[in-house]
Amino acid sequence: MKDLLSAEVLKLRSTRTALGLFIAALLVSIVPAILVLVFVPAGGLEENGAPLTVLLGASIVPTLGLVFGILSMTNEYRHGTITYSYLVTPKRWQVIAVKLVVCFVVGVVVLAVAGALLVLVALVGYQVRGLDMDTGSILTVQAVKTVALILVTAGLMASFGVALGALVRNQPVAVAGTLIWALAVESIIFGLKPAVGQYLPFSAMEQVVSGALTMGPESEVGLDRPEAFLLSLAYIAVTSVVAVSTSMRRDVT
Amino acid sequence: MPVIEVEHLTKHFGKVVAVDDVSFALGPGTITGFLGPNGAGKTTTLRMIVDLVRPTRGTARVLSAAYRDLARPWTRVGALLDASGFHPGRTGRNALRVVARASGIPEARVEECLAMVELGEAARRAVKGYSSGMRQRLALACVLLGDPQVLLLDEPANGLDPEGMRWLRTFLRARAAEGKTVLVSSHVLAEVEQTVDDVLIISEGRLLAQAPIAELAGRAGQVVRVRSPQAELLERLLHARGAAVNRLDQALAIRGASGADVGQLALDNGVVLHELLTEQPSLEDVFLAIAGTRRVTP
Repeated sequence: MKDLLSAEVLKLRSTRTALGLFIAALLVSIVPAILVLVFVPAGGLEENGAPLTVLLGASIVPTLGLVFGILSMTNEYRHGTITYSYLVTPKRWQVIAVKLVVCFVVGVVVLAVAGALLVLVALVGYQVRGLDMDTGSILTVQAVKTVALILVTAGLMASFGVALGALVRNQPVAVAGTLIWALAVESIIFGLKPAVGQYLPFSAMEQVVSGALTMGPESEVGLDRPEAFLLSLAYIAVTSVVAVSTSMRRDVT
Repeated sequence: MPVIEVEHLTKHFGKVVAVDDVSFALGPGTITGFLGPNGAGKTTTLRMIVDLVRPTRGTARVLSAAYRDLARPWTRVGALLDASGFHPGRTGRNALRVVARASGIPEARVEECLAMVELGEAARRAVKGYSSGMRQRLALACVLLGDPQVLLLDEPANGLDPEGMRWLRTFLRARAAEGKTVLVSSHVLAEVEQTVDDVLIISEGRLLAQAPIAELAGRAGQVVRVRSPQAELLERLLHARGAAVNRLDQALAIRGASGADVGQLALDNGVVLHELLTEQPSLEDVFLAIAGTRRVTP
C-alpha cells in the first residue's frame, strides 16, 4: 500500500490537473475576501463576527475538492491509465482505497492552506485599513472545532468525488451530473421540502461546512453540525463500498 | 509445467460471444503468435488472462496462479494491451515512474528501460507530443520495467514504421533468448512469421489451431503462384480440376495442384504463362487454409 500511495502522489504531481485546481481553490477563496476588505465600509468590518464573513470565501473549496476527486478517478478511464493501474494492482479495491485516502488528504490540505491564506489576507487587510479585528469570533474553542469538522468534510467531499467517479466513469457526465445535482436539484428539493432536503448528501455536507441552512431569518431548518457530519460520513461510506464492489466486477476493455 | 494455462475461456458481451471455449497451454521459453483477424477475440482473451475482463466461463492461470493472486504481478508478467494508456500531459519518464513506484520497482530501472527502447532523449517530453510509434515503444518499456518472465503483447507492431518493425523483431528475439515466454497477438501475419515458434489461430472467438509453424505449414500444403494474361481462363480450368484458387488480376495462388500439373494444364489449353513458381506456404497461407478466411493472396 505504501508503494501505491507513493505512486498516487506522483500521479497528482506529474500532471497539471491538481495544480490547476489548487490555484483555482486559492483564487476563488481569496478574491471575494479581498473585495470585502476593500469595499465594505469600516464600520461593517468592525462588527462582531465580521472576520468570519471574510473567511467564508473558503466555503467553495470543498466543492472544488469534490470535482478534484471526480477528475482523479475519471481521468484514469478517460486516458486509459486505468489499464496499467489494474494490471499493476489487480486487487482493484486497493486502487480505489488509495485514491480515497489521497484525495481526502488533498481536500483537507487545500482547505487548510486556503483558510490560512484567508486569515493572513484578513489580518493584512485590517492592518492596512487601520481597523481593529474582532479575533474573538475566530479564536474560540468552538470555532476551532468547527474548522476541524469543516476540514474533514472538505476531505470527505474529495473522497466522495472519487467514489462517484468510480461509479460514473464518463468524465463530463460525472462532473456535470454531480454539480447539477449538488447545486441545482438538491437546492430545489430543499426549497420545496426542507424536511427532506436536509438529509440529501450535498445538503448534509453543506450543513457541516456552513452550519444549519436557513430559510429566511426566522426559519432555521437543518441538522446540527455533528449530525450532518455523521450523515455525510454515511453517504460517503456507502457510495465508496458500492463503487468498489462495482469496479471489482466491471470489465476494462 | 505450463506458464500460461487457459481452460474453456468464454466471454459473452450481451448476445455477442467474443471468446468461445478457448483452451491452450504455453510452455516456458517460447514465443507464440496469437493470430486472427480483427474482432477474432485475441484482445479479449489476453485481457481475461490478466484479469481486466471477467470471463463468463473458464479460467486463466499465469505461472500457476490466477493473475490477481500473483504477488507484485508486474514483476512477473508484462502486458502490452493499450499503447494509448498514458496520460497525455505526463512525460514519458513520469508515466513509467508511476508504474514503477506502484510495483515497487527501483526508479533506476525506468532509465534502463527508456534506453532499451531508445526513448531516453524524448523521456522529458509530454506523451501527447509522441508519435504512435513512440507511444508503442513507451508501452514496451513499461512492460519491461519489472523484467517479467512472461510477456503478453497485443498487436505490438501497431503504429511502428518499417524500422520500428525490425526493431520489434530484434526485441522479441532477444526476449526469447533470455528464456522469456512471449505471447504476441497480431492480425498482420508477416510481422510475426519470422519471430514465433508456435502459433494459436483464433477466428470468431474459437481457437482453430495450436501448433508449431512448421507443422501447420505442412497441413496447409504448398502454393503454386502463376502470372498470366489469361488468368481468368486458367482459374476456371483449375477449378474444374478441383484446385483451390485465389486470383487478383493476372496473379493466381493455387493449392491442390503441383507446379507440373499447372504448367501442363496451361500448355494443353494454350494459356500463356509469364511466371510460374512453387513455394512453401507463408504463415498467411497457413492461416487462410485453417481459418478459411476469404482473402486474396496473389
